[in-house]
Amino acid sequence: MRFNEKELVLLSRQPSERAAELGMRGPKKGDVVKKRLVKLVVNFLFYFRTDEEEPIGALLLEQCRVEREDSQTFSIAFLDEAERKYVFECDTEEQCAEWIDSIIKASYEFMRKNLIYYRTEIHRLTGKDPLEQYGISDEARFQVSNGRPLPTVPFLVAL
Amino acid sequence: MKLHEKILTHYLSCTSPVDKEGYLNKKKNRNDTYHRRWFVLKANLLFYQERPADRHLLGVIVLEGCAVQHSETDGHFTFSLVFGPGLKTYRFAAVDRQGQESWVKALHSASHCYLSMLVKDLARQYEEAKQQQSLGESHPSVSALKLPTNSFLFATTQQTAVVREGRSFSASTLLQAPSIPAKAVAKKSPKLWTRRHAHVTPLNGPAPLYGEWPLVGFDPLEDFSTLHDYYGQEVKKVREDWLKSRQKEEDHTEQDLIDLG
Repeated sequence: MRFNEKELVLLSRQPSERAAELGMRGPKKGDVVKKRLVKLVVNFLFYFRTDEEEPIGALLLEQCRVEREDSQTFSIAFLDEAERKYVFECDTEEQCAEWIDSIIKASYEFMRKNLIYYRTEIHRLTGKDPLEQYGISDEARFQVSNGRPLPTVPFLVAL
Repeated sequence: MKLHEKILTHYLSCTSPVDKEGYLNKKKNRNDTYHRRWFVLKANLLFYQERPADRHLLGVIVLEGCAVQHSETDGHFTFSLVFGPGLKTYRFAAVDRQGQESWVKALHSASHCYLSMLVKDLARQYEEAKQQQSLGESHPSVSALKLPTNSFLFATTQQTAVVREGRSFSASTLLQAPSIPAKAVAKKSPKLWTRRHAHVTPLNGPAPLYGEWPLVGFDPLEDFSTLHDYYGQEVKKVREDWLKSRQKEEDHTEQDLIDLG
C-alpha cells in the first residue's frame, strides 16, 4: 500500500508533547524488549532507534486499547487482538500514567467525540452553533451520530 | 519507515464514521493522466482503491501538514493537496463543481491539528458559556472571545505575487505545549525542531477561504529561509534568463554594426 512516506517522516520530526526513551516490545512471541525513542505526534506513535533520524515505524492510534500492565508498564493492543500487544516500559509510575493518558487523548475519534459534546453543549447553553463562525456546521465529521442524544461521557477530561 | 498497514486497514473497515467517500480522478504525476479511484476520507487519512468493493487498498495519504487548494484547469474541477517545497503535491479532478467544493471543504478540515485547535477553542467557549449561564446573563456572547493572555496573533502578510496559488499564511499563535522533558531534548535524536508556532485561525475574524488555511508545521520564522531559498530559485532562473538574453544582445553589439573591414 502506497503512502506519503517522506511527509510522514517529516511529521515524526515535529515537536511532540510526549517523547521519551522507553523499553518497547513487539506483539509477536519471541519479541524482546528494546530501547526505543517513542514519540507521539498527532494520532501516530513513532518509534526510533536511539540517535537515528528516521523512525523505524509508525503505529496509528485509532481503534486500539491502551492498558496498564503493571506500575511502570503499559500496552497497546490493535486489531481487536487482545493478546497481540505492544508493550512499553517506563521509568516511573507517573511517566507510565502520563503516556496512557496522552495516547488515549491523541486519538482522532476521542477528539471528535469531545468536539461533538462541546458543540452540543454550547448550542444548548447559548442557542448558537459554535461551528457556524468557521463555516463548517454541515461537515459530516462534526455531526452528532445517528441523532442519538449524547451520553454524559465520563472519559471526557477537561482540556 | 514501516507504516503498520493492518492497523490502518482495520481502522478503515471498522464502524467509526466515514467522513466522505466517492470517486475522484487522481493524477499520475509522471504522465499527466488521470485515473479514476474510489476515495474514502476517515479522520486525517485519505484512502484510495480502484473500486468501492475492492479489498485491496492502493494507498493512503496522511493529511497532516498540507494545504488544500482548488483551481480551474481547462474546465476540469481540479484541486490539490500541497505538502510544501520538496514534498508531494497530489492532484485531483472532480466531476463537477459541487464535487470539487465538497471535497475541498472536507479535506480542509480533516487534519488532526485542525481538530485539535477546534476542540481547544470549543472547550474554552464551553467554559465561558457555563460561566455566563451561572451568572444568569440573558444574552451570553459567544463571539469576540478574548484570547488567552499567553498567546498572540501574528498578522502575517499575504504572500507576494510570486505565489499566486492562494496559499497564504493566516494568523498564527504560540502553542501552549508543555515542554518536552529536558532529557528527551538534550541528547536524543531525532533532532527535534525548536518550538514552533502553530497556526490557528483568527478567532475574531471570518474563517479563511478554502485554500488559505495555514500550512501546519510551517513556522514562518524558521522556514522563512527555506521559503526564501525556494522562491529564490524562481528569481534566480528569471535572472539567468535575463542574463542570457543580455548576453545575446551583447554578442550582437560586439559585431560591428558597420563592417569596417
